[in-house]
Amino acid sequence: MALMSFLRSFPLPRSAEGLRQQQPDTEAVLNRKGLGTGTLYIAENHLSWLDGSGLGFSLEYPTISLHAHLYVLVNAKFREESKGLVADEEEEDSDDDIEPIAEFRFVPSDKSSLEAMFTAMCECQALHPDPEDEDSDDYDGDEYDVEAHEQEQGDIPKFYTYEEGLSHLTAEGQATLERLEGTLSQSVSSQYNIAGIWTEDSVRDYEDGMEFEDADVDH
Amino acid sequence: RHPAGPAICGTLHSVDQYLNIKLTDISVTDPEKYPHMLPVKNCFIRGSVVHYVQLPTDEVDTQLLQDAARKEALQQKQ
Repeated sequence: MALMSFLRSFPLPRSAEGLRQQQPDTEAVLNRKGLGTGTLYIAENHLSWLDGSGLGFSLEYPTISLHAHLYVLVNAKFREESKGLVADEEEEDSDDDIEPIAEFRFVPSDKSSLEAMFTAMCECQALHPDPEDEDSDDYDGDEYDVEAHEQEQGDIPKFYTYEEGLSHLTAEGQATLERLEGTLSQSVSSQYNIAGIWTEDSVRDYEDGMEFEDADVDH
Repeated sequence: RHPAGPAICGTLHSVDQYLNIKLTDISVTDPEKYPHMLPVKNCFIRGSVVHYVQLPTDEVDTQLLQDAARKEALQQKQ
């Protein structure tokens, strides 16, 4: 599936169009072939690169499988024609089952910008989920998102780190965690051996001292 | 893991609602095929291309996972 454009001239991405990061003096390398030095544009809808003569390429985020500092793995195939870079359309290949792969590397002369470039790409990538992923529209995510905290942007999907996951636990959940970690071998208070958690509500329900059974709660 | 793509091992840093994954301290199982990933330490993987995620079974606390999942479900109902 080729969502690439040719190595060609196209208008410079503008801030109004969601340009997040612009990195001049950046060399681009495709599958080990150097394309020269140009400017990398990290925008909300495209990852683009233009060299000094105004030729370049533009990537769409759904085709970007993986990115890291300097490195971008794209779900597309490229071949070089005499006049530039052409994205392969679907060919009658014997490799039909294997999806195409292209490796890009971007080498900015300013190494200190790598972190910002990586972060900008993470944010833009998260703006383009596959259509079938958007099932729970009302899910707002959590308030615990480091990036949103720092940038006050509510539309960035929430990442849960380990520490934040821990802080999501209710008081009962934390008690469970402590008990599991510390007292697994002991049988004290094991009448609360449960398959799930109990909230304030369920505690109230059992105020009269009813004991829990080993209930397998199905949600 | 993508059929034609690299299998990557690393530390799970974070994950979002689309299962986009950030890994740190990564290593690639096919470095001959992806030599340019050798210097890469941290990466962001698009959730939709991931075929499977393999967790180290002895390090997964299923009780804790169930806790968190149920709490999340309860929260969403409110």
